[in-house]
Amino acid sequence: MRTYLFAAVMCLLTGAAQAASTEADFKTALAAAVAAEQEAGALKNQWIPTEQALAAAKKAAAAGDFNAAVAQAKEAEALAKASIAQAKEQQTSWKAGVIR
Amino acid sequence: MKIVRAITSVAVTIVIAAFVVAGARPAAAADSIDPDADFKAFRDYFTKRFPNVPLNDFVNGPYSMDAELRKQWEAIDDFPPYDFAIDRGKQMFATPFKNGKSYGDCFADKGIGIRQNYPYFDLQSGEVITLELVLNRCRETNGEEPYSYVKDEMASLTAYMAFTSRGKPFDIKIPNDPRALKAYQKGEEYFYTRRGQLNFSCASCHVQNPGNHIRTEVLAPALGIVAAMPIYRSEWNGMGTMSRRLVTCNSQVRGVPLKPQDELYRDVEYYLSYMSNGLPVSGPGARP
Amino acid sequence: MRGGAARGTALFVAAVLAVVLLAGAPASAQALPGQALAFDRSKGNCLTCHDIKGGDAPGNVGPALADMKTRFPDRKELTAIVFDETKRNPRTVMPPFGRNLILTDGEIEAIVDFLYTR
Repeated sequence: MRTYLFAAVMCLLTGAAQAASTEADFKTALAAAVAAEQEAGALKNQWIPTEQALAAAKKAAAAGDFNAAVAQAKEAEALAKASIAQAKEQQTSWKAGVIR
Repeated sequence: MKIVRAITSVAVTIVIAAFVVAGARPAAAADSIDPDADFKAFRDYFTKRFPNVPLNDFVNGPYSMDAELRKQWEAIDDFPPYDFAIDRGKQMFATPFKNGKSYGDCFADKGIGIRQNYPYFDLQSGEVITLELVLNRCRETNGEEPYSYVKDEMASLTAYMAFTSRGKPFDIKIPNDPRALKAYQKGEEYFYTRRGQLNFSCASCHVQNPGNHIRTEVLAPALGIVAAMPIYRSEWNGMGTMSRRLVTCNSQVRGVPLKPQDELYRDVEYYLSYMSNGLPVSGPGARP
Repeated sequence: MRGGAARGTALFVAAVLAVVLLAGAPASAQALPGQALAFDRSKGNCLTCHDIKGGDAPGNVGPALADMKTRFPDRKELTAIVFDETKRNPRTVMPPFGRNLILTDGEIEAIVDFLYTR
């Protein structure tokens, strides 16, 4: 019983953090982010924070910090997707604000 | 047979002549693009919202909205901060290119007193032509390097050209051509579309909140908003071209700016200039 | 289990739990207090449009933020406004701080906490 309890607590301690990200993880995350940002670019609606997150992701990867790099790349992808959603929604809703 | 044909061809000629003379677009059906109706609605919106602002005063932007700000502006008017730009622009304009040609060769009336006609829609190339675009194309055609659209050389040239048109009413034309109407509509769409992480459209500030403050800055009305370009902006400690203004508006809402003189920027300048028809060129201007 | 070992294990587990809870799994535990977030130009930047007690040179695009407990008895409503006011008012010029990832959920919570003190 004591052994099981001890093992559970050790899992809690070491398992609280996720498994460390690898360079391969980073490349996958970056590719997804870049693809989304390109789609936003085709819609002429890229956001500055997206570009900043992409730059931060690449910088972290260059420094070997793949945990941070993956986190930033995922943030960049989320921002790019939000900018795409904005552009698509606006394609139909912009007219509502026109002075008539 | 001959008589019928003659009458028909006369009738057709009369109809064509009527269109040519009137310069009119056919009456708009519902859902089609109607710049004249838009123009009237746009003007009415601002004159009704600000009944105490004389129509021509809208070109003074925030100064037409705020009496306190206006006092500060009038105080510096004896020594306008854009004077140096006019002087420099005049000198640049008069200096021939290496090949002996000069800017005047690229414009009607040698480029003097014509700013109120820009932008226009070029039926040959099917695009909106702005003043800044012509200036750089003029340079390139004559073997010179183009200027940056956001820096002082372009600001000086356009300051001088605006100055030679001071007081002349904007006279922007939308020819009866589906491409021109489309460019106008794309400009209108750009103006009203929310963009950037902060989710603002140009209209968010300049249609919904003219005269209101963001922090201490007074927002200008969209009516006449291009009339004072280029501007000396105290906040920038220098001149700003139309291109610079559009780029910075994008970045202020955390949107990645388009390239200066991007097709969409030219379209929105076309739209806003048409909405300012009849209002006087007031450039170059000064702003806080 | 003998008494001493049980007590030792219980203490150890308590210590681990304490560490985990204090460290704060969500990043919001390390966020700035709500007022600093609200007034920070790169965060809430609320003063650009709203008059808020404690802030200088506010804009007037939006209503003054006062009597917040009275005006927003339902915290969920106020949170939703900060998250995405376009849902309630499609014509609003208020940025959708949550939907557009301008602020994290934790930052929005902290700002709402602060607003309830105004």
